[in-house]
Amino acid sequence: MQVDQSQILEALWETLYMTGASFVFSLVIGLPLGILLVVTRKGHLLENEAVFNVLNIVINIFRSVPFIILMVAIIPLTRIIVGTSIGTAAAIVPLVFYAGPYIARLIENSLLEVDKGVIEAAQAMGASPGQIIFRFLIPEALSSLVLALTIAIVGLIGASAMAGAIGGGGLGDLAITYGYQRFDTVVMLLTVAILVVLVQGVQSLGNLMSRRVRRS
Amino acid sequence: MIQFEAVKKTYVSGKQQVHALNGIDLTVETGEIYGVIGFSGAGKSSLIRTVNLLERPSKGRVLIHGKDISTFSARTIRDTRKDIGMIFQHFNLLNSKTVHHNVAMPLLLAKTPKAEIDRKVAELLEFVGLADQAKKYPDQLSGGQKQRIGIARALATNPSILLCDEATSALDPQTTQSILDLLRRINKEYNITILLITHEMGVIREICDKVAVLEEGRVIEQGSVFEVFTNPQHATTKRFVRSVMNDELPDSLLEQIRQNDGTRPIYRVQFTGNSVGQPFMSRVSREFQLDLNVLFGNITELQGIPYGNLIVEFDGAPAEIDRALASIRKDKIQVEEVQQYAG
Repeated sequence: MQVDQSQILEALWETLYMTGASFVFSLVIGLPLGILLVVTRKGHLLENEAVFNVLNIVINIFRSVPFIILMVAIIPLTRIIVGTSIGTAAAIVPLVFYAGPYIARLIENSLLEVDKGVIEAAQAMGASPGQIIFRFLIPEALSSLVLALTIAIVGLIGASAMAGAIGGGGLGDLAITYGYQRFDTVVMLLTVAILVVLVQGVQSLGNLMSRRVRRS
Repeated sequence: MIQFEAVKKTYVSGKQQVHALNGIDLTVETGEIYGVIGFSGAGKSSLIRTVNLLERPSKGRVLIHGKDISTFSARTIRDTRKDIGMIFQHFNLLNSKTVHHNVAMPLLLAKTPKAEIDRKVAELLEFVGLADQAKKYPDQLSGGQKQRIGIARALATNPSILLCDEATSALDPQTTQSILDLLRRINKEYNITILLITHEMGVIREICDKVAVLEEGRVIEQGSVFEVFTNPQHATTKRFVRSVMNDELPDSLLEQIRQNDGTRPIYRVQFTGNSVGQPFMSRVSREFQLDLNVLFGNITELQGIPYGNLIVEFDGAPAEIDRALASIRKDKIQVEEVQQYAG
């Protein structure tokens, strides 16, 4: 094995850092967009065809660009935001552009599952649109939202492994530079094993939390 | 009081226009239980939703206590909705929240202090008979219990009007009965005006004071439940009335009437209220030397008034039969020959 324990721990930390930070920023962007996608659609709370169509198309565009291309394509923007286009912090920008629209779609899906009757009951009792979103829609969808966000985190762990391509570091970077390019099978297997454990852990935690919040 | 004035509702989907409501005029007086019945697609659910503006009328007005709330601002409409409770066929409770939280919801929205909410919720759960279920979740309750929670929630803001959207349609007959009893109590004890829509004539007979029959977005018949049940005019109304009154003649009897040679005419005798108490049959039989043969009949109660419907064969001298009929009619009993009926 050509790497030592501290290199692996550092790579693990970088992966966790990239995934965690980009998840938080993606959620900040994706949550309001997901809510807007639901409430501005036809026949819904704040029906607005223009807003819905623009969001719908823009999100589709981002969703259709493969992450590896997105990463390179937005390098100028990354430079403006973090001052550099390489490194772990720089990798977070494309990850957010990748996961934000994805999370918006996932949240849209979860919120659409909420029974229309519940919204009608909320309106009938005189709830404002804001109250309907935060006191009815989100609590009723919470369990499903947690599962959806778990999917997003797993997706981000996978995408962050590709961030090695722009020097983002992390487990993926380790696997490519040592495992693949220098034929170190042990490193390759080890990084893959760590990623498997990571994903399993996140998924289990997500399932547990989803059950917990089903009744609040 | 709720007044519908020439209310129309048209849905447009693509090039197609669907006229759900075609000019509805109705008045629901304060304190009444008003039932709207119709087959599915008749426009009932659009009608009830124009009251709290879940649906806006395309034309015409709906007045709540004399005011057209569709002219109000969004905020005022929301405030007015707090005065109009609503319960639903599928209850529409929050499955993620406890019974207590569900009932408290309208009060939480109004930012009521917690102590006040707890007091009110306890009182409401007591009223609907679920005081011991406060900590449960809706999916742990039966349909009837869920509807009671729905009712408690609808009453939380002390509304003056309660809208019932097929509130018993998902319930079994026994549970339906208990929910209807509860609605009647709400109407009497809190003097809440109730507008309900249903496709079950039994519900109308059980608790309504007045009824309107809806078909293709129009009111085809309306009046007091007693009037409409004892003297339905429109074919659809007759079908609804028959579904619960069981005054349809059995086939064998129809056959007998068809073969009647006219020597023993058959009459439908309908009597209501005080006339039920009279032994008119034996009196007529004695006085006019007739044999009366009851072929079919039932006696029931409508809104506390007894109501009877008999198919009677008259056997005797034609002149005596005519005199007998005149005598019966004098007692405010309706008699009509059945031949025309069967035709």
